[in-house]
Amino acid sequence: MTLETLVNICLQGLTMGMLFFLIASGLSLIFGLMDVLNFAHGSFFMIGAYVAWATFDGTAAIVPFSDLRFAVGLVAGALAGGGVGALTEWGLIRPLYKRPIFQILMTLGLAYVFTEVIKVLWGASGHSMARPESLSRAVDFLGRPFPAYRLFIIALGLAILLVVYVLLQRSRLGMIIRAGVENGEMVQALGINVRRVFTLVFTLGAALAALGGAAAAPFVGVYPEIGLEYQLSAFVVVVIGGMGSFAGSAAASILVGLARAFADYQLSPLVAQAIIVTVMAVVLLLKPEGIFGAKKGGGL
Amino acid sequence: MQPVHRMAVSSWLKARSPWLAVLACLTLAPAFLNKFYLGLMVQVFILAVFALSYDLLMGYSGILSFGHAMFFGSGAYVVGLLLKGAAWPLYAALPIIIVAAALMGVLVGIVTLRVRGVYFAMITLAFAEVIYILSASSQLRPWTGGDEGLHGIPVPAWMSPTAERVTFYYISLSFLVLMYFLARRIVNSPTGRVLIAVRENESRAATIGYNVFWYKVLIIVISGVLAALAGGLNALYFRNATPEVLGVGRTIDALLMTIIGGMGTLIGPVLGAVVIRVLGNYLADWFGPRWPLVFGLIFVALVMFFPWGIVGTVGRLKPALRSFIKSECGLQAGKEGGQKASRISDNPEEH
Repeated sequence: MTLETLVNICLQGLTMGMLFFLIASGLSLIFGLMDVLNFAHGSFFMIGAYVAWATFDGTAAIVPFSDLRFAVGLVAGALAGGGVGALTEWGLIRPLYKRPIFQILMTLGLAYVFTEVIKVLWGASGHSMARPESLSRAVDFLGRPFPAYRLFIIALGLAILLVVYVLLQRSRLGMIIRAGVENGEMVQALGINVRRVFTLVFTLGAALAALGGAAAAPFVGVYPEIGLEYQLSAFVVVVIGGMGSFAGSAAASILVGLARAFADYQLSPLVAQAIIVTVMAVVLLLKPEGIFGAKKGGGL
Repeated sequence: MQPVHRMAVSSWLKARSPWLAVLACLTLAPAFLNKFYLGLMVQVFILAVFALSYDLLMGYSGILSFGHAMFFGSGAYVVGLLLKGAAWPLYAALPIIIVAAALMGVLVGIVTLRVRGVYFAMITLAFAEVIYILSASSQLRPWTGGDEGLHGIPVPAWMSPTAERVTFYYISLSFLVLMYFLARRIVNSPTGRVLIAVRENESRAATIGYNVFWYKVLIIVISGVLAALAGGLNALYFRNATPEVLGVGRTIDALLMTIIGGMGTLIGPVLGAVVIRVLGNYLADWFGPRWPLVFGLIFVALVMFFPWGIVGTVGRLKPALRSFIKSECGLQAGKEGGQKASRISDNPEEH
């Protein structure tokens, strides 16, 4: 393996890692704060991807600038995901906090429903999405061409990572969220409306996942299974990173992304996926709180 | 106002007469139903056993597995690999299904039961997904047929699902009845009672001195074997084993049937299978390719509003129903005012 190949695989891994991060960070925060393992989280990723694609393609006749359409698509995707997320938490998950098993069943059922709705709206087969003009060229990276779009995903991921990190560490809301992950009842006892924070975090997590989907759409296309597929990777990330740990999911995302890129290079993507899921199982067994271990066990 | 209803011990037959009637109807069904509906019933029976096995886990033991399809699918693939690949006779493949599923159950149980709750759900989902991915992978194509799966599994001529459908119908009916009574026997046995205790309060059951871990492994093995047998029969009926039988969709099917029928009731999941397969058949007619969506919406509504399913809901409404029936009887006796009075008295009991 030459140096150039190595760099290329690393960049590829970082790209995937950033997509994993966008979906896993929300998943992890939602679980850490609310003890809801959201099996519908991949659906938000899928919704973001489809809305971004539909916006991008749908406005092609009106707006000639593909960069603008792409930017609008990204925002629309994230907003759609956040909106659906907010409605989901408020209408369907909130009434079930007293019945945790049914909460899980609900999210699993929702994942199924969202996928079917997408199939009804846009068909069961996938669509490919063009890249915006300014991001469709290749950039020279150590003498090898590297698609600019991947660099964009990496930059977007890093930017979001920074923003969320600052939000969590430096804002009042972030303080409440961190405290809530640590001990939700205590936060409530201090007079903070935890339920409202729940809805907010759920919405934020859904919007992040949808943004990830919107960013992924020109990269991998849109198809109904995209949600479950990336969700599985996000589970792996969350388990390795530790449930409820933001820094953990950031580090684990990059780790899993790199591992995927190397495994994809050496083996078939399917086998790579199987191996990484096995790694997750092993981590779960040996250290259920995650390698970057954060908090409490996952009792129902 | 209401006298307590007591079943006389001697009226065993009478108490079970509805079930005996259902069984008699099912036995006579081939005389009235055409091949298509018989086939539908066969699928109902197979799914019912699958749902039954899931209920043993979720309903009775409180174990939330999202990977139950791996047992169903493995049964199907064992049949496919042995009958088609190795040209084994069916009777020799049967014990292999059981042994394979039991081994898998022990392995999955020992490995995954170290974690609980959502982690258990995730890890079982992961295991099932790995097996699904492997079954579909192109590297294993010479054996498993890759993403197309195994087709044209040879089935003994005397039980051919096409030529001898009536025979196949009776085989699957007896399979369901047998498995139902087996499951009931397990649930009502001392072991079953311990499992219910584990579901209700695990640490208490452990404190009393039961080895909770091995009870859980045991029920995973039993339910796995039941699911694998159903999967094997499924492979015989459709004469194929495709990765689809190992997919998450299968697990969701089991969940749906169990929830629709009523968790922890055994007969509920069987009814759930009827609803899913028969209703699914009509929904597919009415809504075309959109019927899975309708199905998903029904599931969400059930989780939200009827978490205890058909059997559970009926059970909760029973007191209200009883007094309603009584009032109707009272009406027959010629008291017109009785109806109004009892209708009103029904209302408070309805919720």
